[in-house]
Amino acid sequence: MMNADTRFTLLSFAACLAVVLFTESCSVRRSIPIDGPLPLTDSSVVQGRIHFMAHCHKCHPSGETGLGGGINKIPFNFLKRFQARHGLGVMPSFTEREISDEELDKILAYLQALRKHNKRDDGW
Amino acid sequence: MLLTNCYRLKSSSGGGQIDYSPIRKVDISDIALPKGYKIEVVATNLTFPTAITFDDEGTPYVIEAGYSYGEVWTEPKLLRIDGKKETTLIASGGKNGPWTGVEYHNGNFYIAEGGQLKGGKILRISPEGKVTALIDSLPSFGDHHTNAPAIKDGFIYFGQGTATNSGVVGNDNAAFGWLYRYENFHDTPCKDITLTGIDYETENILTEVPDDIAVTGAYSPYNTPTADGQVIQGKVPCNGAIMRIPVEGGPVELVAWGFRNPYGLAFSPDGTLYITENGYDVRGSRPVWGTGDVLWEVIPGTWYGWPDFSAGERLENDEEFKPPNQDLVKPVLAKYPNIPPEPAAILGVHSSSNGIDFSTNSDFGYVGKAFIAQFGDMAPGVGKVMAPVGFKVVTVDVSNGVIEDFAVNKGEVNGPASWLKEGGLERPIDVQFNPAGTALYIVDFGIMKISERGPKPLKETGAVFKVTREDE
Repeated sequence: MMNADTRFTLLSFAACLAVVLFTESCSVRRSIPIDGPLPLTDSSVVQGRIHFMAHCHKCHPSGETGLGGGINKIPFNFLKRFQARHGLGVMPSFTEREISDEELDKILAYLQALRKHNKRDDGW
Repeated sequence: MLLTNCYRLKSSSGGGQIDYSPIRKVDISDIALPKGYKIEVVATNLTFPTAITFDDEGTPYVIEAGYSYGEVWTEPKLLRIDGKKETTLIASGGKNGPWTGVEYHNGNFYIAEGGQLKGGKILRISPEGKVTALIDSLPSFGDHHTNAPAIKDGFIYFGQGTATNSGVVGNDNAAFGWLYRYENFHDTPCKDITLTGIDYETENILTEVPDDIAVTGAYSPYNTPTADGQVIQGKVPCNGAIMRIPVEGGPVELVAWGFRNPYGLAFSPDGTLYITENGYDVRGSRPVWGTGDVLWEVIPGTWYGWPDFSAGERLENDEEFKPPNQDLVKPVLAKYPNIPPEPAAILGVHSSSNGIDFSTNSDFGYVGKAFIAQFGDMAPGVGKVMAPVGFKVVTVDVSNGVIEDFAVNKGEVNGPASWLKEGGLERPIDVQFNPAGTALYIVDFGIMKISERGPKPLKETGAVFKVTREDE
């Protein structure tokens, strides 16, 4: 029977491994000059982008690799939510006082839209 | 520890960390812009260009710094760009660079002279090349220099960077070169401050005595301890500040303080002053991790948080700012002049977000948005990065802090041309619109390799680009 600390460590290690594998194996670039502007029709995405800029962009510029790893290709929201709330490796954790659940939901909505956004269909 | 090692196992991958001898190749087909814009080359073979301005006819003038990190000294120059990539020398300076900024105003050029050897200056240069210092002896012998200027309502506004990374003189400052030249130099606050008395111990590199330890506190010379409650008297001119002088010269006034390295200054279309600030590095006696560069709206009389805040957040005991496997950051100030305001935007950590300008013409687009040149990381000296950061031009919506790429190098990953082994942007350091607001000029410093031994800038690799609408 694993205790809570062991489970947390294993989950953290699995998350770390998944993040490293995804960021190492895939292009994570998202850039208006290359991919065109992200459609901003969903208000959660619009607000999520603003919260992302305030909390996340500095280490993951536009979701790309920077000081921290790229997050544009990580498919699972639960991984990103886990990262934000518990930290991962050198990434710090963010409390609900720093980023509320509602704000985190919107950040994840923005990241999901950003992840799916790639190369404009209209010949960008 | 296991998870921290995930990060530690990867070596730094900064944009200057290249292991070959690059030759500057300029190829605009390697640069991507938003749809509807085009780019052309205006000047090449420049040595450490840092800023650009325009006369009343819209003719561009560029300055060469005359000094670069890496302790490379050349002659600072003001050059007119004549077309066909030719330049004409208007004026040159002495061995007191780097020249960091230039603005043309009412028939004269105003230049910020970094002042690495003799102190910072604001120079006025006539079209005939006559040089007059409007102010000198600014406290600019350290890590960061006298920056900008920007002119409005009869005043020259300029930035003065700090001597140190985070308030404490340490052995990193010897690596810059200046501590051996000026053993007693340190940061000067603009107003009286009270210290916590926290000191930092290092090997004393200014003596030959084996095992000698230097104990150094904030706002004090190397190997000078401080005490809890000790008051450091403020004065102007000072470090980490925006100051101003009358255009014709005169007494210096404090505008705002508590910045680390306020590099770019620009007035928005509604007349508000914005500045770019280079954030902390992971170096020296008091390293700070994970701090972005900042775009600030400047509120006169306000303190912006250096050396105990980053982008409005306290550093104290916050794991967000703790370098991996090092201690939490402790405060050096016992009380704060005010709670710092919220930033206009937080840019990439180590992006070195520098020159700034605002679009004002709907024919170009992006009206009211700030354009910022990102010189790019200087890893590993400033700290480790997992991929190059910066090396592009971004826009910022100052109403909500949203940052978007504007000019980048093509490819699967971001980075300078030399790192990508292509011919696009290297290290954008300034952006300025022409007087009509129809063209954005990008000043590209050129190649700067970085290794554990420090920066190695390459002469004659700088360039200037011009971006316009395709229907121009």
